Amino acid sequence: MALFTTNNRKTPLGIYVHVPFCKSKCLYCDFYSRCNQDERAKDGYLRAVCAHIREAGPLAPGYRVDTIYFGGGTPSYFGADGLATILTEIRRSFDVAGEAEITFEANPESVSDTMLKRLRAEGFNRVSLGIQCDDDEILQRIGRVHTFAQAVDAFQRIRNAGFRNVSVDLMYGLPGQSLVMWQDTLENVLKLRPEHISCYGLTLYPGTSMYDLKDRIALASDDAQADMYLSAVDILQRYGYHQYEISNFSKTGKRSKHNLKYWTGGEYLGFGPSAASDFAGKRFKVISHLNGYIRGIQEGGQILEEVEEIPFRERAGEYLMLRLRTTYGISKAEYEKKYLLDFAPLQQVLEQNQRYGLVRFVNDRWQLTPEGFLVSNRIIEDLQLAQEHSESFARRR
Amino acid sequence: MTELSKIRNFSIIAHIDHGKSTLADRLLEECNAISQREMESQILDSMDLERERGITIKATAVQLSYTADDGETYALNLIDTPGHVDFNYEVSRSLAACEGAVLVVDASQGVEAQTLANTYLAIDAGLEVLPVINKIDLPSARPAEVKAEVEDIIGIPAEDSPEISAKNGINIHSVLEMIVKDVPAPAGDREAPVQALIFDSQYDSYRGVIVYTRVKQGTLRPGMDIKMMATGAQYKIVEVGTMSPKGLMPREALGAGEVGYVTASIKTVADTQVGDTITAASNPASEPLPGYRQVQPMVYSGVYPADGAKYQDLRDALEKLKLNDASMTYEPESSIALGFGFRCGFLGLLHMEIIQERLEREYNLDLITTAPNVVYRITKTDGTVLMVDNPLDYPDPADIALAEEPFVKVSLIAPQEYVGNIMELATGRRGEFKDMVYLDASRVELHYDMPLNEIIYDFFDALKSRTRGYGSLDYEFLGYRQSKLVKLDILLNGDVVDALSFILFSDNAYARARKICEKLKDNIPRAQFEIPIQAAVGGKIIARETIKAVRKDVLAKCYGGDITRKKKLLEKQKEGKKRMRTFGTVSVPSEAFMAVLKLDED
Repeated sequence: MALFTTNNRKTPLGIYVHVPFCKSKCLYCDFYSRCNQDERAKDGYLRAVCAHIREAGPLAPGYRVDTIYFGGGTPSYFGADGLATILTEIRRSFDVAGEAEITFEANPESVSDTMLKRLRAEGFNRVSLGIQCDDDEILQRIGRVHTFAQAVDAFQRIRNAGFRNVSVDLMYGLPGQSLVMWQDTLENVLKLRPEHISCYGLTLYPGTSMYDLKDRIALASDDAQADMYLSAVDILQRYGYHQYEISNFSKTGKRSKHNLKYWTGGEYLGFGPSAASDFAGKRFKVISHLNGYIRGIQEGGQILEEVEEIPFRERAGEYLMLRLRTTYGISKAEYEKKYLLDFAPLQQVLEQNQRYGLVRFVNDRWQLTPEGFLVSNRIIEDLQLAQEHSESFARRR
Repeated sequence: MTELSKIRNFSIIAHIDHGKSTLADRLLEECNAISQREMESQILDSMDLERERGITIKATAVQLSYTADDGETYALNLIDTPGHVDFNYEVSRSLAACEGAVLVVDASQGVEAQTLANTYLAIDAGLEVLPVINKIDLPSARPAEVKAEVEDIIGIPAEDSPEISAKNGINIHSVLEMIVKDVPAPAGDREAPVQALIFDSQYDSYRGVIVYTRVKQGTLRPGMDIKMMATGAQYKIVEVGTMSPKGLMPREALGAGEVGYVTASIKTVADTQVGDTITAASNPASEPLPGYRQVQPMVYSGVYPADGAKYQDLRDALEKLKLNDASMTYEPESSIALGFGFRCGFLGLLHMEIIQERLEREYNLDLITTAPNVVYRITKTDGTVLMVDNPLDYPDPADIALAEEPFVKVSLIAPQEYVGNIMELATGRRGEFKDMVYLDASRVELHYDMPLNEIIYDFFDALKSRTRGYGSLDYEFLGYRQSKLVKLDILLNGDVVDALSFILFSDNAYARARKICEKLKDNIPRAQFEIPIQAAVGGKIIARETIKAVRKDVLAKCYGGDITRKKKLLEKQKEGKKRMRTFGTVSVPSEAFMAVLKLDED
């Protein structure tokens, strides 16, 4: 009776692998990664992450993996052999669906035809390419180690290797970037016809080189960043890219399934230093320390730095915070059913914001408009504050 | 009981900073009442707040045992008095407990308005006023001139006044000798029906109220049934005694002429009002001592917990403060904007600030206070008369036949070069010039009739800044006078914020409305939408400002590892918002309420 295999009832699971190696560190980047590491370190990492995956597999018997995402760091810089080894280990330890979305991140300077063909053959079916900008001067200013021509070349190679689902990362609000320059970047990247585009406003995180330099560089004002953002939403919409999250746009059916898990309450397990998980009601994070991670795996020490069990009520707050990042938004019926909380206080806040064009009500769902996305922190705070006063149906019963 | 001839009851009068508390410390030291080691600077001012501000808020008394040059040992009762105009009545009662007053005058600054007011109170009370010239060790000291000033202005001899430095302990002995020689010994009949003046009281959680009293006639003993002549409250005395610098010293009796304390398991200071007379229940005096009056608050303000959930805590705190301060009043009130709180009545602005500060410090409360206001007398067209102490109770203008506001007689003293500034200030505050007197070649005293409302906002600060700190102020109540009043409403994003409404003189409405709108604009954080701030009188908008909208407050990236971080960020921003009050759609921090109270700063 093939129709009734247990697989049909398995819970979907995402897997994230953090590959903490880069050729050089971009000045704005606050992800955990190391440069100038010798083969021994890379080898140690590879063995540790595989062991980690092997250990975790048996803990997720009722799950089927439908997305795998290799992020970093620069997975393409780590090389095809390593990525293939890890993917094989995942397949061996977990139940991976045949149609799973399997993504790796790549930078233009570290892709080659051979490695792309190899990874395609291994089953990788999606690439996220970091292009950021079409202006070589700006690229250099923010610490990127490639030109725009290199990025275009890399994109072609990815296509030639047979990848039908390619995403491009872009950044706006970069030092020295004007609205017109940003629109040029979009036009030039659109010529490549990627399936998916992410546009990130430059954010300065403490601890990054650019944060330390922030008083000495000409940064875009909030108003300028807002104009760039709204212009991107508009241009991409005209080219058939639908916005589905604050910073993410795709052709129909090409949303990142893996990333959507983060915003819709899906479960995921993370491997490698600094990788985060949300699994079986708990959220936890691996330490951001390569050697500590390797040692921990080898010797059985502590490798988690944050473990939090999320109470039900807090999940209701996360629902607002994460769902409202997406155009899917939130609904009264869904919210009341899921969290047994009264939606009325939220409705009041939503209606207030609707009056200012920051929120809209479409098909029985509330979603933020592009202008609303730009001030989403404010709106989410107001909603969460209102939520603290909402009555629980559970208690009323 | 101490023989009458061996008792001296005196107080010290001084302007703020002229060294009253320091002199008191030295006197204690000189009498070996307290060792250098035990000496915490300024022992009389035991409240933290008093020590910080260098002012005396509560009256205190202490008994010193002094062996004088004549070989006799005297009981010197020092009754400390509050030094601020808000507490004029308390000062007058403390003075009524004494036969003499030491007037401390700063050797370089000379006589000030505050000193003058209290000196007149002392002279009116029949006290022997004995000047002392302090801070003679300062390079700017001009003792001879200051002595002449004292003689000219106050009209008391000062030629032989001790020249001292309280700070450095110079000539303290001569002050004590002067007290023994020149302060009259008290009179009184210890067998007569009891008349004892209450000049202060303090709540103690173990003994109940400790009543500080000066026995004028008769004798108080433990076990005696007593009666407060004004409030009618009756109690049985548990203990009587004197106040030593180290604490209360029980005695067998307190006789006429003596200063001491009485405990009688009294639950509330409301029963032991300052100025009331204690008598024996069985053999009462035929009449109370003169001078008692019920204290009336002059200034009212709404006091709300910044966090609405702390209402009960605020109530408890006010109840406890009230145990010790009969002059403060409080009544529950509610505001649409601020929720539940209290309408509190104070003697004056300093009193208000002190209470608010004590609530915040001693009871750990965050408060939002509304603009202080005076009590307006409104006669309605139907003939009824309302005393309005809350803008929310202000009647519809159409129903008002006559509006009146309280006026005070203001006395201002400053070096003459600031006369122009003072006149400008006083005229701007609707002051009606009465006269101007030269106190000496360089200093003048100006008199104005002025609406009390003009003084309670920030007049004292404005005076200080226009006179480089040299100006001093005193005022007394004159009565109600007809006025043109309006109620000013503030609207945020179209909604009236009731807690920001207030009553003012109509000619001032435009200027004040503009300033308030500006202040609010500076103190209300931007939101994701534009916020209009409007000021309206009777529905007509008279001023407007706009707070621009925030266009960008977003986390561009939020993937697996960012969620906890993002939650923390929102949590932090939410904490900030929680401390604010939300009016319709606008969140207002408590600083915004404070800012509109200080409009004259820039």
